[in-house]
Amino acid sequence: MPIENPFQDPLRFERRVPECAIAIFGAHGDLTSRKLMPALYRLAYDRRLSAGFAVIGISRTAMSDDQFREKMQESVKQFSEDTTFDADVWKAFASGLFYVAGDIGDAALYRNIGAKLAEVEQARHTGGNVLFYLSTQPSQYAAASQGLGAAGLGKGNGWRRLVVEKPFGHDLASARELSSRLHEVFQESDVYRIDHYLGKETVQNILAFRFGNGIFEPLWNRRYVNHVQITGAESIGVEGRGAYYQETGALADMIQNHLLQVMATIAMEPSASFHANSVRDERSKLLRSIHAMTPDEIRQNAVPGQYGPAKIGGEDVPGFRQEKGVDPQSQANTYAAVAFSVENWRWAGVPFYLRTGKRLPKRVTEIAIQFNPAPLAIFEDEDGPGSAPNLLIVRIQPEEGISLKFLSKRPGEGMTLRPVSMDFNYGSSFGERSPSAYETLLLDAVIGDPTLYTRQDMVEASWAVVEPIQNVWRETKFDFPNYAAGTWGPAAADEMLARRGHVWRKP
Amino acid sequence: MGGTVAPEKILRELSDLWVSLGREAPAPADAGVLRACSMTFVVLAEESDDVQSLGETIAALMPAHPARALVVRLRGAGERALSERVYAQCWMPFGQRKQICCEQIEITASDSALADLPSIVLPLAVPDFPLILWCRSARLWGLPEFRPIEAMAHKVVVDSAAFADQKAVLPRMAEAVTRGVLLGDLSWTRLTRWREMLAQVFENRQYLAQLPRVSRVYVEFAEPFEALAWYMGAWIADSLADVGVPAELTVAPEADGPSLRVTLSGEGIQVELARQEERLTIVVNALSHCTNLPRPAEHLLLREEAGIVRHDPVFEKALASAARLAYPGDK
Ligand SMILES: NC(=O)c1ccc[n+]([C@@H]2O[C@H](COP(=O)([O-])OP(=O)(O)OC[C@H]3O[C@@H](n4cnc5c(N)ncnc54)[C@H](OP(=O)(O)O)[C@@H]3O)[C@@H](O)[C@H]2O)c1
Repeated sequence: MPIENPFQDPLRFERRVPECAIAIFGAHGDLTSRKLMPALYRLAYDRRLSAGFAVIGISRTAMSDDQFREKMQESVKQFSEDTTFDADVWKAFASGLFYVAGDIGDAALYRNIGAKLAEVEQARHTGGNVLFYLSTQPSQYAAASQGLGAAGLGKGNGWRRLVVEKPFGHDLASARELSSRLHEVFQESDVYRIDHYLGKETVQNILAFRFGNGIFEPLWNRRYVNHVQITGAESIGVEGRGAYYQETGALADMIQNHLLQVMATIAMEPSASFHANSVRDERSKLLRSIHAMTPDEIRQNAVPGQYGPAKIGGEDVPGFRQEKGVDPQSQANTYAAVAFSVENWRWAGVPFYLRTGKRLPKRVTEIAIQFNPAPLAIFEDEDGPGSAPNLLIVRIQPEEGISLKFLSKRPGEGMTLRPVSMDFNYGSSFGERSPSAYETLLLDAVIGDPTLYTRQDMVEASWAVVEPIQNVWRETKFDFPNYAAGTWGPAAADEMLARRGHVWRKP
Repeated sequence: MGGTVAPEKILRELSDLWVSLGREAPAPADAGVLRACSMTFVVLAEESDDVQSLGETIAALMPAHPARALVVRLRGAGERALSERVYAQCWMPFGQRKQICCEQIEITASDSALADLPSIVLPLAVPDFPLILWCRSARLWGLPEFRPIEAMAHKVVVDSAAFADQKAVLPRMAEAVTRGVLLGDLSWTRLTRWREMLAQVFENRQYLAQLPRVSRVYVEFAEPFEALAWYMGAWIADSLADVGVPAELTVAPEADGPSLRVTLSGEGIQVELARQEERLTIVVNALSHCTNLPRPAEHLLLREEAGIVRHDPVFEKALASAARLAYPGDK
């Protein structure tokens, strides 16, 4: 019988990291340079990777191993935000980088990948474990997976896993179709669909906050919560990705995946354990309880927007239709706000307002939970009773943290109240560096922990509520642009909340 | 120098300190001072201890474990003396607008005033959070006055490498653990990355399959690392015994060798870990691998220890075995 490694000490050691090779499709691309390689380098820097670790970069551009190493070194230097570049660490890390050129549609590519994997398994003792990472155009995902399958690379001496970048499908049918194509080669348990929001420390901290403490959960329901606002705002425009954005839009790019996952984390039932499947079961259940709206409901509860030109800080900013590669008549949404409702006992009647947009006044992602006012207003504060509701704000970026807003007596005579804020600043209360989402997620995939990855049923559940909105919007001609760059979105979004007596926060 | 210290006066001074920090803070409402606290951290140090570097160590610990820090400086024999001073340790985390501040209290006490310490420390401890006691003074650890101070702490941290006779202190520490003291030894903490690297080697299934062939464990150490060597030897031997692999253990000083070298060997397998300067070299059979392993700064060691306020069975077992191995005559 094989023995257990007797030297492990889980109380003190970081999690066990098995030896493996990571094969990245799209290694010449932007995501590899900006996110994946800096994350892997940081993991090496922190000694989180095993000695037998290798990366095989794959894309069309011809490069030697050394040229690839050089390019990656440049990327790491340029894009590692808070990691110093250590030449010795790089040298050791770079000796595990390899490159294979070829086209995803070409069977020869997979023979070359197979040969490289065999070589690396021998030389670096990767134990035959391989994590395939698809960071190419989404249209190539299925082809790459099938190419691996046809070459027999979906199985081997060790484990084989597949990480798939976003977007996963562009509607329910295409997401289903993609899953079934991937399943021809990889089992669902080996498919890791990435949603980098779930890798963010604060999103994970929501679970700690909700289920590690006894005091919040009793308030976490329709009786005490008035409504929830989830905002994912960006101040930048489409930054040269206008053509891509025109096809996708804010609703599919942000709400379908990131913000709905955040909503699921905030609203899910407590899971019985912290095991991957039990947490994902609860997330999935919540997503499936979101009401899929009828076209009439959609017109009342969903607002698209597109930014127009404006002057911000003395500078002329183009509107979306003036961006490079964008159709001057484009009907694409660069802003989306949706009022979702959850059909379960905990949340019935509590609106969940989700909004996202480009060219909003600032970059901020946060969740604001607004509580019901005290049942009886016995104090008159300056702006009238009930004007400052209790708010619990979970900030995801830029300054991760949690604040609670409540009323307190103003010092001095008289019973005048004013709102004060109690802050917990996550990253800085423990002034520690938080790992980037990609560090967390890559390590999880290597370790085989899918808790923070989305499962097929979750992706389908979120498409099921987003697709009807997409359909209605596609059939409607909107009078775009309907908000100026640098403002908090279209007036229609304010009206949508006003109809229920609510107002958007200005975070 | 006054002979009394009133905890209530100190608490008042602390609260004034927060008010004045709040006033000095920059204007916007979302900037300002954030008060953070997750433990009381009591440091017992000799007056001769380098105050500056001690202050830096405490400051560096704060971001991970924000604390009310109480530094007790021991003046030794002589006239009875007791005095205090209160100040704040603030820092602006990278990219943030809020300053984070932690309180620091410094108390100076002569040996004759030691008996009064518990009655001062206890009311100053932050309620509901653990009290971690870091005893930097080998001398105090041996004094009877230490016991009541130790009794207040949820965890006591010492550094056996700071003791003149490192080997001799192991049985005393083991005895404290049997008394129920939650103990941490920075010498053990220094081994974490080493132990982790060794564990990592055997995460490889091929090497793990060869582990039962290990028959000898050899630990060589340079003078200042004797306690480390005993810990390492004891831990490896215990771990092997746990999976039914008996191995002969030798722990021996090596005058000119690296600080520590650990070798596991047997038929067809040889694993060696050695530190040279800031590098750790790992050789498994013929395959050699080198990683960056700078000597961990004291605050990093403390950070690890302050994060474990519970029984640590692996350490406690290694300590008991190391004490037994270092003094085979004792029971
Ligand atoms: N960039 C981001 O910040 C970001 C964020 C979230 C998600 N994503 C997702 O991540 C994926 C990659 O994004 P990206 O920005 O890195 O894209 P990109 O810069 O366009 O890179 C695409 C990569 O795929 C390779 N490729 C394209 N067609 C190929 C083929 N037929 N055979 C082999 N290789 C092929 C390209 O190789 P050559 O260059 O050699 O032709 C290139 O390395 C996309 O799915 C995107 O949606 C990106």
